[in-house]
Amino acid sequence: MKPFYKWASRRPVAVFLVVLALVAASGILIRSRMRMETDLDEYMPRDHPAFVFSDEAEERFLIRDAILVAVEHPESIFNPDTLEKLILIEEALAGFDEIEESDIRSLHTAENILGTEDGLDVRDFYTDAPQDQAACDRIRDDVRANEMVRGRLVSSDERTALVLVDLADGEFSRDLYDKILALAEQFEGPETIHVAGRPIVEGTMAILGPKDMARMGPLVILVIAATLFIVLRSLLRTLISLSVVLVSTVWTFGLMVLLGIPVYTVTIMIPVMLIAIGVAYAIHIYNQIDYFTREHPGSTREEIAENAIDVIWNPVLFAGLTTMAGFVSLTTSQVYPVKYFGLFAAFGVLAALLLSMLLVPAGIVLFGAGTPRVKPARSGSAAAGSGGFGARFADAVLKRPKTVLGISLLVIVLAIFGITRVWINTSFLDNFERDSDIVRTDAFMNARFGGTSTLNVILEARDADAFKDPGLLRLMLEIQESVETRDKVGDSVSIADYLARMNKVMHEDREEFDTVPESREMTAQYLLLYEMSGDPENLWKVVDNEYRSANMIVQLKSDDSRTITNVVSFLDGYADRLAEHGVTARYAGSGYKSLVFSGLILQGQISSLGLSVLIVFLLVSLMFRSLLLGLVGTIPVVISIAVNFGSMGLLNLPLTTSTALISSIAVGIGVDYAIHFIERYRERMKEGHAAPEAGRFAMGLTGRAVFLNAAIVIAGFLVLLFSVFPPNRQVGALVSLNMVTAFAGTVTIMFLVLRNFHTSIKEKNK
Amino acid sequence: MNAHANRVLVLTAALFAAIALYAAEPSGTEIMQAVYDRPQGKDVQGNLTMTLVDSKGKERVRSLRQVTGTFASGEKKLMVFLSPADVRGTSFMNWSYDEAGRSDDQWIYLPALKRVKRISSEGRGDSFMGSDFTYDDLGDRHPSEDEHRVTGSESIAGEDCWIVESVPRDPKDLYSRTVTWVSKKTMVGVKREYYDHRGALLKTLTISKLESISDVWVILKTEMRNVQKNTSTRIEFSEVKVNSGIPEDEFTERAMTRGL
Repeated sequence: MKPFYKWASRRPVAVFLVVLALVAASGILIRSRMRMETDLDEYMPRDHPAFVFSDEAEERFLIRDAILVAVEHPESIFNPDTLEKLILIEEALAGFDEIEESDIRSLHTAENILGTEDGLDVRDFYTDAPQDQAACDRIRDDVRANEMVRGRLVSSDERTALVLVDLADGEFSRDLYDKILALAEQFEGPETIHVAGRPIVEGTMAILGPKDMARMGPLVILVIAATLFIVLRSLLRTLISLSVVLVSTVWTFGLMVLLGIPVYTVTIMIPVMLIAIGVAYAIHIYNQIDYFTREHPGSTREEIAENAIDVIWNPVLFAGLTTMAGFVSLTTSQVYPVKYFGLFAAFGVLAALLLSMLLVPAGIVLFGAGTPRVKPARSGSAAAGSGGFGARFADAVLKRPKTVLGISLLVIVLAIFGITRVWINTSFLDNFERDSDIVRTDAFMNARFGGTSTLNVILEARDADAFKDPGLLRLMLEIQESVETRDKVGDSVSIADYLARMNKVMHEDREEFDTVPESREMTAQYLLLYEMSGDPENLWKVVDNEYRSANMIVQLKSDDSRTITNVVSFLDGYADRLAEHGVTARYAGSGYKSLVFSGLILQGQISSLGLSVLIVFLLVSLMFRSLLLGLVGTIPVVISIAVNFGSMGLLNLPLTTSTALISSIAVGIGVDYAIHFIERYRERMKEGHAAPEAGRFAMGLTGRAVFLNAAIVIAGFLVLLFSVFPPNRQVGALVSLNMVTAFAGTVTIMFLVLRNFHTSIKEKNK
Repeated sequence: MNAHANRVLVLTAALFAAIALYAAEPSGTEIMQAVYDRPQGKDVQGNLTMTLVDSKGKERVRSLRQVTGTFASGEKKLMVFLSPADVRGTSFMNWSYDEAGRSDDQWIYLPALKRVKRISSEGRGDSFMGSDFTYDDLGDRHPSEDEHRVTGSESIAGEDCWIVESVPRDPKDLYSRTVTWVSKKTMVGVKREYYDHRGALLKTLTISKLESISDVWVILKTEMRNVQKNTSTRIEFSEVKVNSGIPEDEFTERAMTRGL
């Protein structure tokens, strides 16, 4: 490759033109054919058993994510205007193409089944808007007496009524989201209209996250550009370093579009990775160029360029390869967006690597080295390496090995402690500010109703008609009663509730019959009656028509993974008792799928991290032809990974799909720093210098480059801390953290180990 | 006269002939009235097998004995379930009245509860036993409830039919319109399409077996297919007897508890 770069460096204009042409081509592709994938279901591995099961169950029981439109009246919803408003809202909703009339549920659409002296009364609570207060009061009394509606469609304090819209898969869109919010606004006053539900939260997040990134992204780049300019003190160098990052990002997205791969939410992490990693290559080359021009004043532009290529190609190549290997190992993930993320991030790194080796020399040849106005004495370059800060730092580290080792161990111990406290969170809601509208609406709904999140417990029996068995139905009621006492569990509904209600109604509404019927025949006959006179569609949401399986709907007041996991493990405790009835319990629904999904992502991420540490070790060993140096090279990587996850545990930052992917940076950056440092150190030794001098030299030159690189990236990413979207703040904090640890790990503990072990090798070899 | 003018003349003549033929046809209202007035028999009894097919093609079969009689006040109907076994003996009775505006009386008897319960229900649009039929689809709808219009003729299974489009006068009706194929020979609607409020086809009713028993046309096999939900319900009527003189006291609460 070196001859190629040298050949290219002599044709700088052609290099710039080709790069620009490819940028233009990618730009056109991106503009014309880029496709966002917002349907979260598309992210899931279709053939994973948990998803196959959940999808099938969702189909069987018409499990849908509902949008909740809550109408809150300051005093009581039982007045003619509010009750009419419910009808108007339903009509407006049914007018949307995405919504079927039968998908809408409310007090208005509900049926009131009443037990009377001589029979059974099935009627609507109301059909047309009531004309006077007396009619409203009658409706209120009916609601008070009906536990299937009270607390479910109308809050117990009677100030809020719900209109629920079950959305079919893939029906949610930005357009529908806007329409529903506009509708809510239109019906405001004197009632307050709240809109909540998983599709709304998901939708807001899908819109807010990228929007915020699009606003913050340019700021990040601006700050990085400014910092680059301060550090490099050359507009040209700033532009070239920046274009390495930007061009590689554009190329990567261009290739993605060319191959027909859509943009997923995690794809947004690719530019983040490329900015953090890509800037480094150019900085190392400039570092060498400055060093060379100082050492060899009067060299021609071509000589300077060729020297940079000669010296830097090897470490940059290996740094790039190891980083790429880290990303490529993500393709072992079962989740396609993550696979693609790994693959394209690797391509981006490759592009950044090539671009650095092409654009920096081309720039030198075309415009000159533009040696920065650095006072030679202050830079760590002084051949003797005695005066520079880097050299003094190197000496300081070596003088206090116990302190360095002690602090490193302390950091690692703390990190390990932190790692044990890391928790996974799939909550969508936790992505928002605590005082944001969406979180407050959710809290409002949860305070008044059973819960905005749902877990579907799918009970399956061997035989048909199993769910007519009173014993099994009683067990279901018992499970529901006890699960409802758990933290953050609101309400639950199953076929047993329907039967208990029927039983009560058929016994003149006497409370003592508010339980499941006593015999299988009675159950069967109630069910037949319900099918005949009630609304069988409701029935098929909780049981299948062969009565072989049932869907117990558990409503949760939080969508975070702890809540779901707690409830799932609590319910798993009933496995044995269910098994006595030949019944097994499994789970379904979007909340549960998210849980399984993030588990898969994390599992993939952790195993890929393990794999990449191994690859880093092998590649570094190969590069330096020494297993020991391979081990030394993994030190910053391992420390960065440990500190990354440890800090998340200590700072209570949950693992999510994006925060998990950031740990890839730990590998990419950590190994780059290590390779550049070790390479410098080894080269200096080969040139015949003593170990202490080589250490000072490497610290002064590479240590400085690494420091600058970290400083530049951190400055940029700290901007994200001002983001209004908490997940983007986490990205900013974690990227910065990884840069700091990779840097600190390289120049302290790794340097210390390198000096000690490498010296001993040398001595042994002699 | 050139060939072009000749063709115009022939076409015009054909058009006039068509209009003349059309004018001779009965109006939509007349056709639907004739369908409504068709002799039904004073009483009909038989075994009804209802097969519910869900969207995955899974079938559930229910069989029941059904007895219908027409009396001074109106029509009375008794249905007793024969199978599945766990609902055997469950019976359902319906009295509907000729008197305008008077809603039906309904009773249910559950053997496990051993008591007859009166059901007051206002929903005629409710599904009939969880099938694709609503109570309304099964009953005879009075022609005055809709505006009718003949839209053409078509042959269905070798039988000449009028195509009548009926639009409910009440805009809140269950359907936005129905289209019925009425056999010119038997005056029986042999096919009907039901459209929802968006104007989309919702359900299709077909009659595949019709027999004249004691001079009354009795539908022996019919199918309702919900094209939006992809479900269907087949009803077969067997061992049918017409005008066997069933007394009115066969339709009482006591009769319900007796079973069959």
